[in-house]
Amino acid sequence: MTAATVNAALGNAGLLLMLVASIVGALSTVAAVRSGNVRALRGVSRYAWLILAGAVLATVMMQRALITRDFTLAYVQQVGATSTPALYNVAAMWSALEGSILLWVLVLAGFTAAVAWRYRKRTDDPLVAWAMVVMFAVSAFFAFVAFGPASPFQTVAIPPGFVDGPGPNPLLQNHILVLFHPPILYLGYVGFTVPFAFAIAALVTGRVGEGWLMETRRWALFAWAFLTIGIILGAWWSYEVLGWSGVWAWDPVENASLLPWLTGTAYIHSVLVQERRGMLRVWNISLLVATFALTILGTFITRSGIISSVHAFGAGEVDGYLLGFFGVVVFVSLGLIAWRGDRLRSPGSIDSPVSREGAFLANNVLFTVFAFVVLLGTLFPLLVEALQDRRTVVGAPYFDRLSMPIGLVMLFLMGIAPVLPWRKASTELLRDRLFWPAWMGAGCLVLALVLGADGWAPLAAFGLAGFAAGSALRQLVLATRRQGWRGLVGRANGGMVVHLGVILIAVGLAASNSFTHSATIPLEVGTVQRWGGHTFELLEITEEDTARVNVVKAQVLLDGDQAYAPAITLYKKIGANIGTPSVRTGFTKDVYLTIDGTVRPEPGATEVTLRVFVKPMILWLWIGAGLMAVGTLLAAFPGHRRRRPTDPVSAPIGDPDVEPAAVEPAAPVGAAP
Amino acid sequence: MSARSLNRRLKSTAGWVALLFVVVAALAVGATRDTGPQSAGDRVDAISRRIACPECDGESVYESRSRASEAIRTEIRAQVNAGRADDDQIIEFVAERFGGQVLLVPRSTGIEALAWALPAAALVVGVTALFFAFRRWRLEAAGVPEPTDDDIALVAEARAAERE
Repeated sequence: MTAATVNAALGNAGLLLMLVASIVGALSTVAAVRSGNVRALRGVSRYAWLILAGAVLATVMMQRALITRDFTLAYVQQVGATSTPALYNVAAMWSALEGSILLWVLVLAGFTAAVAWRYRKRTDDPLVAWAMVVMFAVSAFFAFVAFGPASPFQTVAIPPGFVDGPGPNPLLQNHILVLFHPPILYLGYVGFTVPFAFAIAALVTGRVGEGWLMETRRWALFAWAFLTIGIILGAWWSYEVLGWSGVWAWDPVENASLLPWLTGTAYIHSVLVQERRGMLRVWNISLLVATFALTILGTFITRSGIISSVHAFGAGEVDGYLLGFFGVVVFVSLGLIAWRGDRLRSPGSIDSPVSREGAFLANNVLFTVFAFVVLLGTLFPLLVEALQDRRTVVGAPYFDRLSMPIGLVMLFLMGIAPVLPWRKASTELLRDRLFWPAWMGAGCLVLALVLGADGWAPLAAFGLAGFAAGSALRQLVLATRRQGWRGLVGRANGGMVVHLGVILIAVGLAASNSFTHSATIPLEVGTVQRWGGHTFELLEITEEDTARVNVVKAQVLLDGDQAYAPAITLYKKIGANIGTPSVRTGFTKDVYLTIDGTVRPEPGATEVTLRVFVKPMILWLWIGAGLMAVGTLLAAFPGHRRRRPTDPVSAPIGDPDVEPAAVEPAAPVGAAP
Repeated sequence: MSARSLNRRLKSTAGWVALLFVVVAALAVGATRDTGPQSAGDRVDAISRRIACPECDGESVYESRSRASEAIRTEIRAQVNAGRADDDQIIEFVAERFGGQVLLVPRSTGIEALAWALPAAALVVGVTALFFAFRRWRLEAAGVPEPTDDDIALVAEARAAERE
């Protein structure tokens, strides 16, 4: 067979097109903006369309190669199999290193085109032009990586006797979330390129005021929301697939997604201070740079195999390039910040720590310290290996221990911050506004105690969660009372809906981490076993056999009313046995059943050993995630008077949509001015 | 009494003192009631979360389904059932048998202490930076300018002169 198949040829052509369009686009845009060539600038968006066309062509060719099982491609030999079901075959594209870079390339091209389309009438504005230059430069880097060192279109001779590939990793072909989690996560990761591009453009043009912030507010929110949803879908996938009943293992790959989320969250809070007061310019740009750089560093950490992780794709050829790119990003950004240092000094000052600004700053310190802890714990094995030449593992208990106090202080801050006015708060005001939220926290604490919770840390979490929920609800109640349904939209109100989602997740995590019980229960057909207030009875052990898999299921009657079927699946091509849990989901607790051990029970056997976990409040995590997504949409929803960048930054006094907390006179229950 | 004035009276100092009392009492009851892991199974789980699976990539024994992890779980279960009182003793025992690299929590001695000290240092740095930022803002607002480089040089000169 010839080496140059249609798939490889057109796929490579697509990537080459993207690479060339990115490089030419970046260079010609720089030339045009420097010479002030307005006509050339107006044509900048055509490069973005070429980039998108190249990326789409490459992706289509990769999908075609996967669908037709074109085993002349090394990548398809690695992840393709004739028996893989169609949907998992689509997802096979991102089940190994080269294909996941291709997905990154596609999403990046999509964002580049979206920015070009959004600002198509303003490409002669130097700020937009420089932002396009940055988008092109980043595109050029990833197109280069995909075209060269991590090419998914490498062709190889088919080895003699080769009939069929192994298919994707078994864990990546047994749950539907595999289709959604990586693309959505990448929308978040890659989405932060846009605000980063505008930040760099602001530094280059010297227009470091608030204009670029307003431009990128929704882009940042969009990226943040997708990163959030992507992370939580990953947690859900872990819960439904991995069989240890956990949602988060502090694995280096998970940490790599959490790091940009932490700095991104800090950014979307502190950016409000700059919009409102024109302060913290250097800090906001630094947070954006950190967020973008951490996505690159995270990809490097997890794709280069320098740190062992269950998610890692094995040692790749891209690590040097990623590390180099990370270095360039940090170096260029810091250089630009230093160069523009004089313009970045902002006038004005923050009057009091007890103010909205002060709370945002405290939030930023917490999130930054949290990000530092996660980065340190993730990289710590490298440090120990470098200094003492021995291997260590830093595991979940370390992160749990450090994130618990940070999380509690964050909840406390979420309770106080929403009631604080800008500038300065008086003691009387705090006493008045915090009273009912604080009692709501006390109520939640007592309720948790009555329901049987113990230990000071989870109880503190429940109490503070109630306090924070009280503050968020107070804001929403006051806003809707005054404005009707519009009291739910806009940044301040939508943000409170997001907070409520975060609080549900915090409660779910505190409860499920502290009060999970598990047991290993031997079952026999015909005998009812009791444990933890539940009954378990083995009905039978069944078998399903297809060309791809052989599934052995233990049909277990739970509490006498419904059968659940934890399974062990043998993936024939790979020869791996993968356990699949079966979960009864409930509002207060889940019952999570898995077959214990790695030995398959024989079909028709009358005995099996189950591992059972009873986990409280897991459902709250998924509900909280939904609420966060809804809240972000509400926050991005335009207010009734959309502020343009040219409008004054400070709201006129009494404008309720912009600052309800500062002007409202009443408390949530009853009313006292 | 109207709802409005009732609300105002509740928000008095007495209302806050009552809140404080309820919170402290509830936390005290909850903390003293804390009995730790209740069953032997829960104790095995708690211990196995702190030990790394020796043959997998960064998973704990609790998460992992490999044979080695199963062996360690069985060992922990045997120790727990034999009535070893102290979790740390069991972990030390397992670490000795399987090599020290199975510990998931950095020790508080030697280089591993850095894993604990650096986060604390980061927090101190962050809070100190905030403190100085607010101080600068307060001084600026009060009209006292920051010392310029010239000012600093002047002071340095004066102090150098003093030493001589």
